[in-house]
Amino acid sequence: MSQQEHIGPSTEELVIESREALRDRARRRAARLGDHFKREWQIYVLLLPTIIWFLLFLYKPMYGLQIAFKDYSIFRGIDGSPWIGFEHFRTLFENDQFLRAIRNTVIISFFTLLFGFPAPIILALMFNEILNQTYKRTAQTIVYLPHFISTVIIAGIVITAFSPSAGIVNTILEWLGMDPIYFLTKPEWFRPIFVGSGIWQEAGFQSIVYLAAIAGVNLSLYESAVVDGASRWQMMWKVTLPSILPTIIIMLIIRIGNLLEVGFELIILLYQPATYETADVINTFIYRQGLQQGQYDLAAAAGLFNAVVAFILVMTANTISKRVSRTSLW
Amino acid sequence: MTRENDTRFGRETMRKTTLSATFLATTMLAQPGFADEHLRIVEEPLELSIHFHWPRNQGYEEDYPVEQAAREMTGIHLVDATAGRNTPDHNEAMNLLLAQGDLPDIVGGNRIKDPVNQYGPQGAFLPLDELIEEHAPNIKALLDERPELRDAMASSDGKIYYVPYLPDGKFGRAWYIRQDWLDALGLERPDNVEELYQVLVAFRDQDPNGNGKKDEIPIFERQWEELIRFVTLWDGRSSGSDTYHDFYVDNGEVKHPYATEGYREGMKNLAKWYAEGLIDPEIFTRGSSAREYLLSENLGGLTHDWFASTSGYNAALAEKVPGFNFAPMLPPESVSGQRIEEHRRTPLKPDGWAISYANEHPVETIKYFDFWFTEEGRRLSNFGVEGVHYEMVDGEPVYTEEVLTSDQPVNSQMWEIGAQIPRGFYMDYAYEWQWTSDDAREGIELYEQNDLLIDQFLGVSFNEEEQAVYDKYWPSILTYMLERQQAWILGTGDVEADWGEYMAQLDKRGLSDVLEVMNSAYERQYES
Repeated sequence: MSQQEHIGPSTEELVIESREALRDRARRRAARLGDHFKREWQIYVLLLPTIIWFLLFLYKPMYGLQIAFKDYSIFRGIDGSPWIGFEHFRTLFENDQFLRAIRNTVIISFFTLLFGFPAPIILALMFNEILNQTYKRTAQTIVYLPHFISTVIIAGIVITAFSPSAGIVNTILEWLGMDPIYFLTKPEWFRPIFVGSGIWQEAGFQSIVYLAAIAGVNLSLYESAVVDGASRWQMMWKVTLPSILPTIIIMLIIRIGNLLEVGFELIILLYQPATYETADVINTFIYRQGLQQGQYDLAAAAGLFNAVVAFILVMTANTISKRVSRTSLW
Repeated sequence: MTRENDTRFGRETMRKTTLSATFLATTMLAQPGFADEHLRIVEEPLELSIHFHWPRNQGYEEDYPVEQAAREMTGIHLVDATAGRNTPDHNEAMNLLLAQGDLPDIVGGNRIKDPVNQYGPQGAFLPLDELIEEHAPNIKALLDERPELRDAMASSDGKIYYVPYLPDGKFGRAWYIRQDWLDALGLERPDNVEELYQVLVAFRDQDPNGNGKKDEIPIFERQWEELIRFVTLWDGRSSGSDTYHDFYVDNGEVKHPYATEGYREGMKNLAKWYAEGLIDPEIFTRGSSAREYLLSENLGGLTHDWFASTSGYNAALAEKVPGFNFAPMLPPESVSGQRIEEHRRTPLKPDGWAISYANEHPVETIKYFDFWFTEEGRRLSNFGVEGVHYEMVDGEPVYTEEVLTSDQPVNSQMWEIGAQIPRGFYMDYAYEWQWTSDDAREGIELYEQNDLLIDQFLGVSFNEEEQAVYDKYWPSILTYMLERQQAWILGTGDVEADWGEYMAQLDKRGLSDVLEVMNSAYERQYES
């Protein structure tokens, strides 16, 4: 310390100098930022509606989340209702039907991920190998179509297809000499039917993302692979898949974030008291308890729990992915 | 509208409305002593805002001919201020209204009883008892005559917060059987459970539709819950009101039908019938088109459904299914020899209208509510406008030919003109009788001659603590009950083997607490 006093400027001077340098840098940065805004303002204007949408529809409603901790009366309003702490959460976790709903949500989500996630990737890879363009485009349109059909109609199609008297599934079973099965009242059949119809509806549309990623793969990679004598199969495994891996991982993280958001509209349309055992998920539980019985505070508590778990899941997935593959959402 | 005016049709409609408006106006002028004058409530026209939600048309149209006539008669003008016009759901509409804070003068629509009785004591709606006592002689007379209505309407603090829609007529659903199938097989109408069973077996095995295939479905229902009503054949119950799975009253005590011995016996037998193929194997998923499909394909044999619409199939299918005759029959006698029809029209709907705390003219409003219970007001709310939709014949309102012969059913015509909508009014069964088919009339008379109906449970109003207990336990109890119910019918569970465990589960889930608050609320409401 004492030596420094002789060699360089005093501490005071240093402080002043560094302050000035900081101010200078800030000024320069502000100027740069100003330039940047001036240059790129159109982009920010384009971004604005999305930001406003987020604030209005995703951030502002969070204010209402507090009713999960209140004895909510719609007439007294959010502010006028008294606080009751974790009472609603206690009620929920004492209810075996809620615990069952959590279990069903996790199981259905897991199977949806296990079978539903690879499906569009496989589909995209297969489309990529089709050489006849007309055939390819027709096939793509056909697999996209179910995505645009309303859930109510999907449910109608599923109910009809699995009907014991007129359904195509049971007709085939009868050809094979088996007895017809009343699928939609059998708890053990609900999950396969639900996961399967989900894949049927969405796999085609979801494959678009992967097709786009495949289109972006550098062609020179394939050329050099051909020069090295790689077969088509090897090119798919060694070139295409590794190249679209970042896209796959990003999609996987997003999927994990939405893992608990089971498409409950379809469940409500397909389930019966007879299949609650395997079909009742958190969202359908919320629907029956909260909306049909008017218990908004309890439903908010269940929804909040759902959101917290989803948040933890997506954070974990992102961290693991960052460590393992260096690909992450943020 | 402007585009329509260019067409001839548009111009004609315009002229017609102008003409009838002029006609109305001149009648009013030419006859100052017109009978309507005594119904006038205010000298100067008074505007009151109204929220009105109902499933068929959210909102209250100011150009309803009925509203226009009511304006002429009373001087009160209702102005639409409906919240949540885009939602078909009454809960949502009501909650949107309450959440937005400032209420319109009048709040009305379907299923307002529970919210009004819940938020009335908190200050959202005015208690009507004194207002009715002093300013509504017609409503008062009706409530004095039928005190059970007053009990059923009351909130937990004992006060009335809404003026209800009171249906008229007794019978709703009835047992219907394919008379032509019975004739084809040479069978009599079944009169008790055993005979019913034999008939159903014959329907299943003896090919009554004559197509050589064993494709008949003896029992079918549009709502699977109707199947549960069959437990009345074994002296069980399925519900105490026209809401499914509701509580019922047995000797002054509120009970739940799904926790009684009769239900156990009934479920045992229904499971047997289902296993034997007497019940539609797809009963739970066939849904609302079941009746249409199974009747028009000549497959269905017996159901429990509404008189008017079910009888309509005889005319509708006369060509498609030769000899088709779907006839109402008396409910078969139960195992103990009782004959009951569990379903009936409720004498009191949870629909109607209420006065909000923001209303600055409560006296005028209650007088206006009372107007709909006067002779003229009741006719207006039932039949529409005199001279346009009905004529008085021998002192009785009779629909015009135009209304009766229209392609559109009379009830939906009425909804469009603002009659028969769920405001607080007293329905007149004569309205429906006029367009009930002869087949249905015969059935209703058959039911009328027998003493079939049982008392309805009109519901209770909970205080806050009772509501909390009910909310905490009831949803999961009901879920459990329905799960077991379907499992037993489908044969994935056995009611005899499960019953002990079932009752223990109900107890564990708090059924006794729910019954306790039900009974305390019931005693407060009906026995004080």
